[in-house]
Amino acid sequence: MKNSDIVLRAVDLYKSYGTVKAIDGVSLEVTRGETKVIVGPNGAGKSTLLKCLNLLIKPDKGRIWLEDVEITNSKTDICKIRQKIGFVFQEFNLFNHLIVLDNVMIGLTKVKKLSKEEAFKRAQEVLELVGVERSLWKRYPAQISGGQKQRVAIARALAMDPIIMLYDEPTSALDPQFVGEILEIIKMLSRNGLTSLIVTHEMGFAREVADEILFMYRGRILEKGPPTQILARPKYEATKRFFKEINRLYGAGG
Amino acid sequence: MNFWSEFIVVLARGLIVTLEILSISIPASIILGIILGSLRVYGGKVTSTLSSAVANTFRGLPLIVTLIILFFGLADLKIYLSPFWAATIGFILCGGSYISEYVRTAIYSIEEGQSLAAQSIGMTKFQELIYIILPQAVRRALPAISNEIVYMIKYSSLAFIVGVQEIFSVAKTFNSLYFKSTEIFLTLALIYLILTGIATIIFKIVESKLKIPYS
Repeated sequence: MKNSDIVLRAVDLYKSYGTVKAIDGVSLEVTRGETKVIVGPNGAGKSTLLKCLNLLIKPDKGRIWLEDVEITNSKTDICKIRQKIGFVFQEFNLFNHLIVLDNVMIGLTKVKKLSKEEAFKRAQEVLELVGVERSLWKRYPAQISGGQKQRVAIARALAMDPIIMLYDEPTSALDPQFVGEILEIIKMLSRNGLTSLIVTHEMGFAREVADEILFMYRGRILEKGPPTQILARPKYEATKRFFKEINRLYGAGG
Repeated sequence: MNFWSEFIVVLARGLIVTLEILSISIPASIILGIILGSLRVYGGKVTSTLSSAVANTFRGLPLIVTLIILFFGLADLKIYLSPFWAATIGFILCGGSYISEYVRTAIYSIEEGQSLAAQSIGMTKFQELIYIILPQAVRRALPAISNEIVYMIKYSSLAFIVGVQEIFSVAKTFNSLYFKSTEIFLTLALIYLILTGIATIIFKIVESKLKIPYS
């Protein structure tokens, strides 16, 4: 693999909270166009890892590169980097005081400094792409459903033209009826070639969308491999136990 | 000239001075409060410590002491403030310090996710503060700010200490000529009630105009 094809690379990340090792030596690479899925039990450090990758959480140790730029270098302008890393939160985190349209436009007008017209055009594109109906564009986040909120959050991230998307359990806070549609959108974006790193508990979805599944356990990536291999023939007892538990909770289909 | 017509003219003159003080000190203290409150949370080590020191000083001093220091104390240092400006600056510092406390706590009350989301789309700390955090925090602080403004309308009467001819001061002087304290001070009380009532109504309107739905 050519080095330039690696979009995101993390080497030896560590992060502790007091005596708790949230991330205990994680390295990973995501290549262009690839979709990787991180699974693992609660408390394994998946969310912390994802937030470390765009420095929403500062790792204690380790280095991270986005393409050729080392983002853990203190001279790197992290705000510039974050524009290129789309981040979708479990809790949506839409800006409460802004209507749907402005939630998507504010990054374009204030961060990318686009004109109102350009920003509107771009916002319109992404909102339509993720299927947010025009009738909702003037509503506040509190006035739309969870499923619509997550669509808007995805649109807000997409609008910035990221070279990679990070999804942090994007369907965990959703009512069951909205889970499928959000996963469909993420799958569609991934199939269209958007490099993605996804933390999820939805195993059926992981199997369909992932080029590689990483199983995280106690702050480490315990094992990884293509979905067929890792789901069918996990090497470790912890992995087996986890898949069994997940199947019991979510059903085999995910 | 009879008592009432003379009283009304004197009172009107004092009211104008009171309104002049308030029309400067209300907006200025709100702006100062927002800036100080923001710096206390978002500032670097030096600026946040400094802002906290300023706020705690003027929150900790009796207003009357602040006014006397500004007027008499500074004069000893050859800094001469007119009574009007000594009082107005005192009110701005006092009100701004209290408001900074409300803004600071309101900023802390904004969910962390709002800040994370702002950072995730590449906003700088300053952009995050201006476009995401303050619009929400100031809304949450409005009821408390309105409370502080009501206080300010009332404590503007303390300007008489440094010799400002505001409404309380002229009423007091007028009373020493006529000794009709019931009529004079009840009228004065009524005017303060009207002023604070108007302020309360204005803030209620602003609050409802700026209201955003929360789930």
